[in-house]
Amino acid sequence: MKIILKLIILILPASFILMFFLLLTEDDSIIGADYRQFALPQFNLEELDGSSFITSSDLGDTYIINVWASWCITCRVEHPYLMSLNKKGIPVIGLNYKDEENDALEWLSKFGNPYKKIIHDYKGTLALDLGVTGAPETFLVNNGKIIAHYQGEINESIWSQVFIPVIKEKELF
Amino acid sequence: MIIEISHFLSILSTGLFFLVGSFSLSTSNTPYTSNLISRTYSHAFLFLLSSFLIYIWLAITDNFSVQYIANHSNSALPIFYKISSIWSAHEGSMFLWIFFLALWGFIFNINIKNTEVLKPKTIGVISLIIVGFLLFLLITSNPFITILPIAPLNGADINPVLQDPALAIHPPTLYLGYVGFVIPFACSLAFLINGDPSAKWEQLVNKWSVSAWVFLTVGITLGSWWAYYELGWGGYWFWDPVENVALMPWLAATAFLHSLSVSIKSSQLRTWTILLSITVFSLSLFGAFIVRSGIIDSVHSFANDPQRGLYLLAFIAVIIAASLSLFILRFSLIKPSGNIKTFSKQSFISINNIFFGTLIFSVMLGVVYPLIYEYLYDQKISVGAPFYNAIFIPIVILASLFLFFSVDSKWSRSINFKIFTKPIVLSLIFSVIITFAIHFVFKTNNVAILLSIFVGLLVIIRYLIEVSISLIFKKYLNPFSAIAHFALGLLLVSISFNSLLSTERALNIKINEFEEYKDLTIYFKDIRVRKGSNFDAVKAEFNIKDKNGNSFDLSPEKRRYFTRGQITTETAIHVSPLKDIYLTIGDQLEDGSWIVNVQINFLIRWIWFSACLMAFAGIVLVSTNRKSNI
Amino acid sequence: MNPIRKKRLYSILLVFLFSVSGISLILYSLNSNLDYFFTPTELKNVDIPSEKRIKIGGMVLEDSVQRYKSEISFIITDYENSINVVFEGIVPDLFKEGSGVVALGFIKNEIFYAQEVLAKHDENYMPPNLNLENDN
Repeated sequence: MKIILKLIILILPASFILMFFLLLTEDDSIIGADYRQFALPQFNLEELDGSSFITSSDLGDTYIINVWASWCITCRVEHPYLMSLNKKGIPVIGLNYKDEENDALEWLSKFGNPYKKIIHDYKGTLALDLGVTGAPETFLVNNGKIIAHYQGEINESIWSQVFIPVIKEKELF
Repeated sequence: MIIEISHFLSILSTGLFFLVGSFSLSTSNTPYTSNLISRTYSHAFLFLLSSFLIYIWLAITDNFSVQYIANHSNSALPIFYKISSIWSAHEGSMFLWIFFLALWGFIFNINIKNTEVLKPKTIGVISLIIVGFLLFLLITSNPFITILPIAPLNGADINPVLQDPALAIHPPTLYLGYVGFVIPFACSLAFLINGDPSAKWEQLVNKWSVSAWVFLTVGITLGSWWAYYELGWGGYWFWDPVENVALMPWLAATAFLHSLSVSIKSSQLRTWTILLSITVFSLSLFGAFIVRSGIIDSVHSFANDPQRGLYLLAFIAVIIAASLSLFILRFSLIKPSGNIKTFSKQSFISINNIFFGTLIFSVMLGVVYPLIYEYLYDQKISVGAPFYNAIFIPIVILASLFLFFSVDSKWSRSINFKIFTKPIVLSLIFSVIITFAIHFVFKTNNVAILLSIFVGLLVIIRYLIEVSISLIFKKYLNPFSAIAHFALGLLLVSISFNSLLSTERALNIKINEFEEYKDLTIYFKDIRVRKGSNFDAVKAEFNIKDKNGNSFDLSPEKRRYFTRGQITTETAIHVSPLKDIYLTIGDQLEDGSWIVNVQINFLIRWIWFSACLMAFAGIVLVSTNRKSNI
Repeated sequence: MNPIRKKRLYSILLVFLFSVSGISLILYSLNSNLDYFFTPTELKNVDIPSEKRIKIGGMVLEDSVQRYKSEISFIITDYENSINVVFEGIVPDLFKEGSGVVALGFIKNEIFYAQEVLAKHDENYMPPNLNLENDN
């Protein structure tokens, strides 16, 4: 009788813990990552410095679109990683989101510019078409199609877990 | 530089706490080691304290090179909210949690004499728990990470919903309650490690446990009050998973206090008391795990990182496994001395333990079952209020009935029902009459509500009689027990009346129009746009008249904050002793009218008052010198 | 069997009986009070009695929100299937066309009568409120 009681006392919490372990490890997918493919929407927006207009055909075959803004602290955090991507020769297109031109330019001159081109999406129209919920967000585009997408800060581990598998599979860059 | 100092100080304190813990658990008690352990603990605490104070300083001085501060504070915030921004998200909350944990240990350390047999091991257990949490903080959720070389000019904003005085003090109070139960937990473990059944750990922890219970009670009440006026839904309890994980430790703690009172008196129910002290602390940790791992979708949970969840889970597993194995190894040590007499106070408290156990089990099931179900069947479900009502109402009614009959029970003696028939019969008569009156006046046939009111009244009247007897005949009455149980009766009656009488209605109303609801005439005077320091607001002005000729103005608002573009509802509440009139404003329709939600909430203040009264009872106990018996 | 043993056996049986009946009562009330959660697509494939309280979740379809007096109707969609929802009262602050929503209520003749509407929180990374947004 006593042994049964002792066993119950041990087994009950043990089973709870085992269950939570299973629950936590069950879903390996990364929060914020999205692999649904959809076409990059058509757009015609000014470049950040106002020099010219950019459309989706001006960007090349394969590139990264990174949604950022000068008011976004997390963008500041992921900024060094974008710089390193740029150094590796990966084309990163900036999508400046609901930001004042002067603030954005000042931000870039202070911290450095990792972007090949910057689209100024002041009203957030392109961001709306892309389904952006906030900054930062990062898209991988190949032949006019979005093939990987991540919401939130990207860094080495997110890059290797979310983007690298897709890049390897499609043999990009 | 100053950031690194703060960071370094926490690392240093981690090491020192680890030394204290491993040293105290590996050596036997001598006066020399006790002094050493006590002093080293204080030093470790001072390091942690300095680290925490520096961190507060960093927040006050807007040091946005700290990533966490940049993400959760803003230079435009008042100092008060700059400080409270520290616990507005995961890393800072954890830091505060650990600081409080060490603080309880420190106060215990300086209040208990070094000659106390159980003290060194207690301090040791506390230290090891602190080390576990500090490692969690520093490895998986470091609040000291910097954005270098150049810091942002300004921070983000803290969520405006969280910019509220009640919410700024709600988490700290709750955390103080949660981690306060480390003292009884560590003491009971120290008792088991020492292995001397004559050691009286129960007396040592009594006041500490009651203090922690007071913080927990106040913390939960504050949360309930905040949700009522801030979220705009008007309820006081939503059975949200995060509320439930705060309720479980409270239930366990309440059961623990009851059980403790028996063990103090007669060393009976020791098994229960030790098991409950382990349960309370495990449930507190479980609460931290649920909120921090983001395993449950809830409006409250913020961190979403499986690694953190796994670390916390492993840590909880180690603590529970260690304490329970110790408990089973030393089972013979805590064998109950003698049988419990039927109808003695002990017997009633044993029954009470079973009731509380059932409640905790049910809440746990309600929190966990949806997770299991989704894992097994890939189908999302949720457990709502109906389930909790189905469990809580009958059990609370039964438990209160037992409480009613147990008021005059004696320690270790069967109750003599003959002597005490008069108060019992008297309160029965009064309660029956009042309940019937309520049944006819409010024309209700809701058995659950009428029964709850009935048992609530029984408890209230019974204790009123008891208090009068003690005042007239100068008989001793335990103030803690009397006030707390009286508050329970009051809580039952208030909740029942609240659910019986409260109503709400969404009206749609144009400017300069009248609208009738119940006995209220609502007049929509005006609507204005107002500019606040960091928000724009639409402010509606209403004049409300009730049938007694009372008239008052209410101005609910809708705010839009600049920094996040977030929209919040500011309710307008007219408070009177019996009822709240609660107004929220919704959207404007195409025909120019506005949707206005009117709620009449009866006795809702009394619900929080009862909870505060319970907490007050605890304060009375802690501040009086008499050895307690509940 | 000696009397002491017999007594012990009885008390063990009694405790066992009580705990089993208690736990089954709790489980029974749990099972009869569950709110099942469906997306509009899942809803197509199951038959739900109109007295069963359920939760549905999805996005509020753009341009689907209509108001009549204090009643609001809108369409919840998962971009494959959708369902009409009717609700009386004030929708939460975060309720917006094109954003996530969870509704609790009953389904009747293909229309969902909501008792409660909750908007999904997304508190991180929200953009600041620019002046041009106030124009619309």
